[in-house]
Amino acid sequence: MELKQVRYSYPGSEPLIVNFTASVPQGKILSIIGPNGAGKSTLLKLLMGRISPDSGEVLLDGKSIAAYSNRERAAKIALVSQQHQVFDEMAVKEVVKTGRLPFHSLLATIADEEILPFLKAVDLDWAIDRPLSSLSGGQQQRVWLASALAQEPSYLFLDEPTTYLDIRYQQELMSLIDKLNAEQHITIVLVLHDINQALKISDQVWLLKQGQLVKEGAPDSILDQDLLSDTFEMPVKIVNLETFGPYVIQLTA
Amino acid sequence: MRKERLAYGIICLAILVTVIVSLMLGTQLFSLSELWQAFTGNRPAVLNTVLTFRLPRIVAALVVGGMLATAGAISQSVFRNRLADPTILGVTSAGELFMLLGGFFLPAFGLQKLILAFLGGLVAFALLANRKTLRHPYQLIIVGVALNLTFTGLKQLFTQGIDVGNSLGFNGMTWSSATGLVIAGCIGLILALLVAPWANDLKLPDEQLAMVGVPVIAIRLSLLALVVYLSADVTSVVGTIPFIGIIVPNIARYFVGHDYQTILPFSMLSGAWLLLLVDTVGRVVILPSEISAATLMAVIGGPFLVILVQRGGFNGIKTG
Repeated sequence: MELKQVRYSYPGSEPLIVNFTASVPQGKILSIIGPNGAGKSTLLKLLMGRISPDSGEVLLDGKSIAAYSNRERAAKIALVSQQHQVFDEMAVKEVVKTGRLPFHSLLATIADEEILPFLKAVDLDWAIDRPLSSLSGGQQQRVWLASALAQEPSYLFLDEPTTYLDIRYQQELMSLIDKLNAEQHITIVLVLHDINQALKISDQVWLLKQGQLVKEGAPDSILDQDLLSDTFEMPVKIVNLETFGPYVIQLTA
Repeated sequence: MRKERLAYGIICLAILVTVIVSLMLGTQLFSLSELWQAFTGNRPAVLNTVLTFRLPRIVAALVVGGMLATAGAISQSVFRNRLADPTILGVTSAGELFMLLGGFFLPAFGLQKLILAFLGGLVAFALLANRKTLRHPYQLIIVGVALNLTFTGLKQLFTQGIDVGNSLGFNGMTWSSATGLVIAGCIGLILALLVAPWANDLKLPDEQLAMVGVPVIAIRLSLLALVVYLSADVTSVVGTIPFIGIIVPNIARYFVGHDYQTILPFSMLSGAWLLLLVDTVGRVVILPSEISAATLMAVIGGPFLVILVQRGGFNGIKTG
């Protein structure tokens, strides 16, 4: 996937994304980080084709993303968001089956066997008949991940997937994502608040500020005290933790 | 799964028993053996009464009950609101108003009542559905109730207070009306079973559905059209019968779970049974007169609605 000279603004306001050119590394884990309002979520929406750029283009497999139908796109791109709303009781299997919709006619009934492998991939095959609401927050997020995997996407987008999870579940989800990338070679694009989480898991990082790409590169190249302090407009320090490696801490007055 | 099968077994048995009892009861009381003799050809007079007067009414009540429950269940899915029923949202009263006005101002044409009731229902939904009412369950119900009162008021205005709605109902149901209902009703009910997966899809937010390539607006409009079609069919033949569309699907959820592929068939059967029961009771309770099914349903349905809202099963919105 590629962004070429992309510019985007909501009608009548300052541009949110300015002259953005970058490509998503195939088969790798990419994190998009930056302060609030930097345009991370907008960028994600552009990449998913949910909004169209004012100028420039977003290419998916060499073709403009606007040229894909919703259905074609759904077989290539899947999304896990920070929180998922449902309007009724849903069984775990119902949620995962929605991920198979791109591959069936609209009126089809989807068999349980078809979704079992995706639940296995997130270790939740035992919960197939359970109501979603009976699971913990971390398990529910894994159900949504299974649903996204059921789309058999080439690109998996995760928009702050750990926001509502406690640290243990955050860790669990991140290692699962890492495993999926390693085993199934899905290209993963993460928007994360936690810089350390992002730097730890990613092969590539985009650092954003005010709708512009400040820096792109391997996590090591982002680990620059001045660069991060400047981008987030607050002093940070990078320390070395014995078991973890470099760790960014914020310095408050 | 076992609970589901048991529930289906019980409702089918209940329908069978109620149909037989309903055949027996009336101004003339027939015993089971008399019925048996009638159907085996030994009592032509009894058979004539049963086939000409009681059976069409029973068949009509069964089909209408199924249609109302189905319209209610689908409309609850479309509006993501467990109280969204065409009869309290003004869809059926708009249909009645259109039928009345059409009768005044338009020359007669084929399927006139059905078409007018359908148009009225569409107008009501067009006035009802917007971004705000879809997002805020209470707002939908308040606007719906206001529309309902407005349409009912307009109807009374044009009839100068004489309630023409009472001329409808199941009283005097003939095979010619019942056959039309059965044909139109079965088409609607079969379509409803076919599109049940769409009602399930709408449990997810629009944004999420777009991500999996589901044409949200198209399926929502199709389901709404089906709701209006089912309601208009009923309204054009027997008028408005309230609350079945709320009571039945909500009880169905309790017995068979939350999957519309089981809620819909179970609601059809339960709605059919409930309306037949209510109509049979209304038909015999104050002989030789009768109480209309609509009146009885209003009396039962009102308190049920109060309980439902107070117990918090109101909009069913859960964040997963």
